[in-house]
Amino acid sequence: MMAAGVKRLGAQKTSYKQRTLWRDAVRRFFKNRLAVFGLIIVIFFLFLAIFADFLAPYPYDEAHLNLTLRFPFAVPRFPLGTDEIGRDYLSRLIYGARTSMTVGLAVQVIAFGIGVPLGAIAGLRGGSADFIIMRIVDVMTAFPGLLLAILLVAVWGGGLWKVIPVLGFTSWVGVTRITRAQLLSLREKEYIEGARCIGASEWRIITRHLLPNALTPLLVTLSFGIPGAIFGEAGLSFMGIGINDPMPSWGKMVGMSTGYVRVYWYLALFPTVLIALTMLGFSFVGDGLRDALDPRLIE
Amino acid sequence: MTRYILGRLASLIFVLWVVSMVTFALMRAVPGGPFDEEKQRLPPAAKANILRKYGLDQPVWKQYLKYMWNALHFDFGIPYQVPTTTVTALIAQTWFITAQVGIMTIALSYSLGLVMGLVAAYYQNSWIDNVVTFTAMLGTTIPNFVVALWLLLLFSVRLQWLPMGGWSEPENWVIPGFFSKDWIMPVVAYSLRPFSTVARYTRASVVDAIHADYVRTARAKGLGERTVVLRHVLKNALIPMITVLGPDIPNLLTGSIFIEATFRVPGLGKYFWTSTFNRDYPMIMALALLIAFLWSITYLVTDVIYTWVDPRLRFGAARGV
Repeated sequence: MMAAGVKRLGAQKTSYKQRTLWRDAVRRFFKNRLAVFGLIIVIFFLFLAIFADFLAPYPYDEAHLNLTLRFPFAVPRFPLGTDEIGRDYLSRLIYGARTSMTVGLAVQVIAFGIGVPLGAIAGLRGGSADFIIMRIVDVMTAFPGLLLAILLVAVWGGGLWKVIPVLGFTSWVGVTRITRAQLLSLREKEYIEGARCIGASEWRIITRHLLPNALTPLLVTLSFGIPGAIFGEAGLSFMGIGINDPMPSWGKMVGMSTGYVRVYWYLALFPTVLIALTMLGFSFVGDGLRDALDPRLIE
Repeated sequence: MTRYILGRLASLIFVLWVVSMVTFALMRAVPGGPFDEEKQRLPPAAKANILRKYGLDQPVWKQYLKYMWNALHFDFGIPYQVPTTTVTALIAQTWFITAQVGIMTIALSYSLGLVMGLVAAYYQNSWIDNVVTFTAMLGTTIPNFVVALWLLLLFSVRLQWLPMGGWSEPENWVIPGFFSKDWIMPVVAYSLRPFSTVARYTRASVVDAIHADYVRTARAKGLGERTVVLRHVLKNALIPMITVLGPDIPNLLTGSIFIEATFRVPGLGKYFWTSTFNRDYPMIMALALLIAFLWSITYLVTDVIYTWVDPRLRFGAARGV
């Protein structure tokens, strides 16, 4: 009798179109106009980054020493003008997208690679492991992040493949905090207790119940972490200690432009607009994700 | 409560100790030293003399212990970049300028953010709410050096209303002794982000408070609108703000490297990286310790004020929750 009732309920359920959390989230995300706009910006810059070799009219390091500091459209070959040693500004801006996106994504890989395991150990093991990890987190929080980044760059040198680990190393703390906090609160939930009661193994509870539920806030952290890393690279390069010449970086282009800004305004304007657009794009996506993934906001 | 504060102070000392060790170790790990051959050619005897003068001929652990001993007596050494002064004097002199920008920024952004957030919440979903929300969204997203350059391009290059940067002496101010045009752009560019944070949080917590039961009660017992807003809505909405605004203050007071570089403000900012690249050990140590100290002490003060202002937390603490 009981079993039949349960079976019938189950059969009835499949006759509806299944609605999962993720499908709901995708639907809600695409209903959010700002989020879609952000996604378009992000995809556009990713496209520039991936296909820079085909899109850019010139190599980023090709200098035309007889055509330095030309204004946009002054020379038809260079629609966005040239920089102080005659490199095509449009090409450098396109390749700059590659630098920003590489840094933004790669830094997150490192930050999550350090942050998630440490947070998980702290949250699940507790005890002395938790104590030690959280003291490290305390010190990292109080340590002036930018100063640490500058010191590390000074010790180790600049350049793309050194800036990435430096920024990754200075930005895992937030990930650890969130992972730990999530696991601590999830561990006490009834459904975990329920899973334990029906005899699920520790490993199954972690992989099937804890991690999927902790994923949502981590995803939001990721989408705000990417522009954070892009900002970090732009900041270091702005000071002239991030990406090395001749590789272009928007931050470096802004930093170089400050000396010319009185006359050659375009040198400052274009890269700042691109930095601002990238940051806006990612934070629209982040806001959209946060709203879409919060099941409490279901209409 | 006393025990809590003492515990926090102990962890503050621990944090400062670790920060000092890490910074010291990192600095010595930098290849090259402050008095390398490529910077100035010196006869070996003269170089040995200089190294001895600054104690750089000693083993690193001895240098560290000596530094810490001196630091505990508030002697932070002599900056190699400007050997005619002391680290304390140099920081005091440049920080004075940075802190001026910081204090003006705090005053402008916090007051304006509070008012605009309140207005936006009060006229929820009106055009003014949309303007405030949109500005706040831009302000939290766009980096301050981008905003700084846009201001520079618009107001100094294009319109030529404001100076390109620099920091003039008080006698050259527009209103001598009272107001300088040099302040406008750095402060505005620097204010945008804290303004946005304040406006965002004020709006959110005021919207919550407006719908709270105690506000309905206040209205029901016939209080005037002004009293309701100021005494009931705002007062309660401000409590959670303490945890948001507090930790931002040391940031704002130590200034922004980017703002100072863009507007050529002769503040503390540039020493963050000139010290690193000139291997100015005493200056880097002092800066790292200064920031870590300000940071930890602000967190502590914020938490204490918070528990003190909100009676619910005070009782929670008493019960050991």
